Amino acid sequence: MSREIKHDIKEALSNENLRGALGRFGDAYPASREAAYANKDFSALREKIRSIKKYAADNMEDLARSFSEKAARRGAIVYRAETAAQAREYIVSLALERGVKTVVKSKSMASEEIHLNSALAAAGLDVAETDLGEWIIQLSGQRPSHMVMPAIHMTRGEVAGVFSKETREDVPSDIPYMVKLARERLRRKFLSAEMGISGANIAVAETGTVVMVTNEGNGRLTTTLPPLHVVLVGLEKLVAGLLDTVPILEALPRSATGQKITSYVTMLTGPAEAVDAEGNRVKKEMHIVILDNGRTNMRDDPVFKEALQCVRCASCLNVCPVFQLVGGHVFGHTYTGGIGTILTAFFEGLEKSAAIQSLCIGCERCKEFCPGKIDIPRLISELRVRQAREKGLPLSQRVLLKTVLPSRKMFHGLLRAASRVQKPLLSGEGAIRHLPFILSGDGGDLKLPPIAPTPLRDLFRDGRPGRDESSGIKGLVGIFAGCMVDFVYPGIGLSMVKVLEKMGYRVIFPQGQTCCGYPARQMGAPEVMGFIARQNLKAMGEKPVDYIITPCPTCTHALKNIYPEMLRQDKNYGPQAEAMSARVHDFAEFVCREAKESGLLLKPLKQKITYHDSCHLKRSLGIDAEPRELIKMAGAELVEMKDSDLCCGFGGSYFMKHPELSDQILGRKLENIIASGAGTVAVECPGCLLQIRRGLSFTGNKPGVKHLAEILAGQVE
Amino acid sequence: MAVDPVEAAKEKKAGDLFEEFRRSAEAISARVYRAGNYSEAAGIIVGLIREHSAKKVVATSTPLVESLYLDDITREAPVCRDNLRLHAAGADIGVSEADFAIAETGTLVCEATDINARLVSTLPPVHVALVYEDRLVASLEEAIGLYAGGDRGHLPGYLSFISGPSRTADIERILTIGVHGPSELHIIFVGKPGGGDR
Repeated sequence: MSREIKHDIKEALSNENLRGALGRFGDAYPASREAAYANKDFSALREKIRSIKKYAADNMEDLARSFSEKAARRGAIVYRAETAAQAREYIVSLALERGVKTVVKSKSMASEEIHLNSALAAAGLDVAETDLGEWIIQLSGQRPSHMVMPAIHMTRGEVAGVFSKETREDVPSDIPYMVKLARERLRRKFLSAEMGISGANIAVAETGTVVMVTNEGNGRLTTTLPPLHVVLVGLEKLVAGLLDTVPILEALPRSATGQKITSYVTMLTGPAEAVDAEGNRVKKEMHIVILDNGRTNMRDDPVFKEALQCVRCASCLNVCPVFQLVGGHVFGHTYTGGIGTILTAFFEGLEKSAAIQSLCIGCERCKEFCPGKIDIPRLISELRVRQAREKGLPLSQRVLLKTVLPSRKMFHGLLRAASRVQKPLLSGEGAIRHLPFILSGDGGDLKLPPIAPTPLRDLFRDGRPGRDESSGIKGLVGIFAGCMVDFVYPGIGLSMVKVLEKMGYRVIFPQGQTCCGYPARQMGAPEVMGFIARQNLKAMGEKPVDYIITPCPTCTHALKNIYPEMLRQDKNYGPQAEAMSARVHDFAEFVCREAKESGLLLKPLKQKITYHDSCHLKRSLGIDAEPRELIKMAGAELVEMKDSDLCCGFGGSYFMKHPELSDQILGRKLENIIASGAGTVAVECPGCLLQIRRGLSFTGNKPGVKHLAEILAGQVE
Repeated sequence: MAVDPVEAAKEKKAGDLFEEFRRSAEAISARVYRAGNYSEAAGIIVGLIREHSAKKVVATSTPLVESLYLDDITREAPVCRDNLRLHAAGADIGVSEADFAIAETGTLVCEATDINARLVSTLPPVHVALVYEDRLVASLEEAIGLYAGGDRGHLPGYLSFISGPSRTADIERILTIGVHGPSELHIIFVGKPGGGDR
């Protein structure tokens, strides 16, 4: 990881203004978005958008051709620019040919992408951004930190400083005053500009129409006053028909700013009338520059084609716990946040996205909110794979991934050695940096639990806990423990056994099982995960079991969802993975269903318990009701914390790779936990358990943290 | 006289749509009026001219605007209809006609290929839009549907959807009304021509 990004993160975290602005917006956003979507079926809407945009991506060339024909028939001049340079040259030479001196621009991310302003300025043109946020950014010589709210990182005081410098007057940091100042200053530009440049949110192939979504009114002035209008629009903005604009126009403002509709939606079909500054009617010229610059590469990529479904609402930024901490100047280039990382890789080059790929913690919250139904975290992890393929992995990761992890014996041998070695070196809190996701990291002085003296697998082998083999009546359960429960928290495993056996199951621990392999994929080595997946399939299939139960949502997700997808092409292991998938269950989900069907006797637990939703359990597996039901079944009072499904900051190796970010995210979680007033936090994920316990150790371990299996095991009659 | 149930239902629906429009538009800082006839509508505009001490009014020459005979009644402020590129920027109030109104979002749909329709609705600080009450539709989808191979034929060169006054929240996410466009939007619904009350 580059030293630069570490430096940038540190700087961003110490910027109180940035933290305040992003934090306030992040807190307010979900509720205002929710209110804007009242009476709308978001899941139906995003499904429509997904299919409209997917169709458009599949038929990009046809739509581009139809759009060009229709727009030309209505009098527009259409130019297709393959590269950013071509787009710049076209627009600059057009301006020079027409003797343009002043250009007004309304907001266009595509123009930021091709660095149009500097090209126009280099040609001696006076260019004014007219969107307030963009103007502030332009005057202060920065780049937008957010795709919808470019100056969200600045305070009113900073803006006043920028305006004072521009106007050589002492501008007070009064927002209405500054807005008025912008109106007056830019009004003069509007009235005198010979050229207007705008972007577009949608381009309609059927009619040759471009659609613009704005709030300030600058878009209407840019496209009305200057007799020469240039539209810069990316190929991904195309849709087939006029009615296809409806779901996008419904979702975009709701997801972007919590508005049901923006003040202005403008549909332009060919050049409209124009008059010059003297009031004479003149022929309006409309040029439409259709920009490729990496978009057809994206379309031709079977994995990344999905990213063309983006409508640029930036909701993935607004709900991202990492973006909320560091903002777009750290997390992104021209395009920011999660989707920005993906767009950067294609529009500006994979290399440019390399450093920011590591910022995604993989909590998948953005995925829930995306109106284009893009699996952003999945695409970012795919970027890591490509980056690794192109540039290779760092040495420590390479050894781990290529040598250690594929050999269960070597991997587990190292873990056992670590458990022996840590004792004389560390008292109390030990180090677990030998778990797969941690082996490659730099642990620093994180408070970590020790590796257990005896892993769960050995407890089973050397005198199995619980009942004897003949006592199983309801079925045979194979535990898939995952590294953390096996080697750090074997007690969680024993608790699972106790509960399952009480319910009448016989429990075994297939000894050939190893790491689920998910960390390898996250580090950019899916082939290693594939290799390990086959080992696990073999191990778990050695003795036929009725159910495979795991206490770790990431393992469940891997075994249940990723293995079948990953091994689909494998004639031998593919069908095995499919067959195993159906038998894999998360512990709480399994126990809850069983308890409802056949009952589970629990001593009532007179306690207030709050539940933390782990990212993978809730968002990858869709399980959030069952753990809560179990808490209630145990007789405890369930008290909900604020934002229970907000990431705890663990994220596998993330908490070691970016401890400063992980700690900040954890801090927010701890505040919510403590505010709930609960005596215990229940979790259903050993990673969340480690992270939250680590955090609460600084508050005197109050409240306590327990895995649900531990809570239930304490109450079974 | 017997009440025609179909007509009554239609009227009720129109009334519901109007109320929905009013709620939606007022929620985004527009002001909504209902005028039974042209002279009532003209009266509302005169009131606005006085309220703003307007010295200069610009207006389009569309049939609905013309029906108000504004020149005859607005002695305080002359109404400009020509060469608006020179006059609109200095005007206090712009008057135009909207083609449809969308109840769900409080939106006006304006066919604005004629540049005057844009100048009067973008440059003055106050925009007054007149719209016939029977031009209310329920949703954005219904409105766009009118142009998608529907009765309106091909799309006008410049089609504007206007919802409330111009706004920004670009500094610290604080909402400020009135940036580059009008800071006030007044919407006057005018009763159906040929209706009993005209």
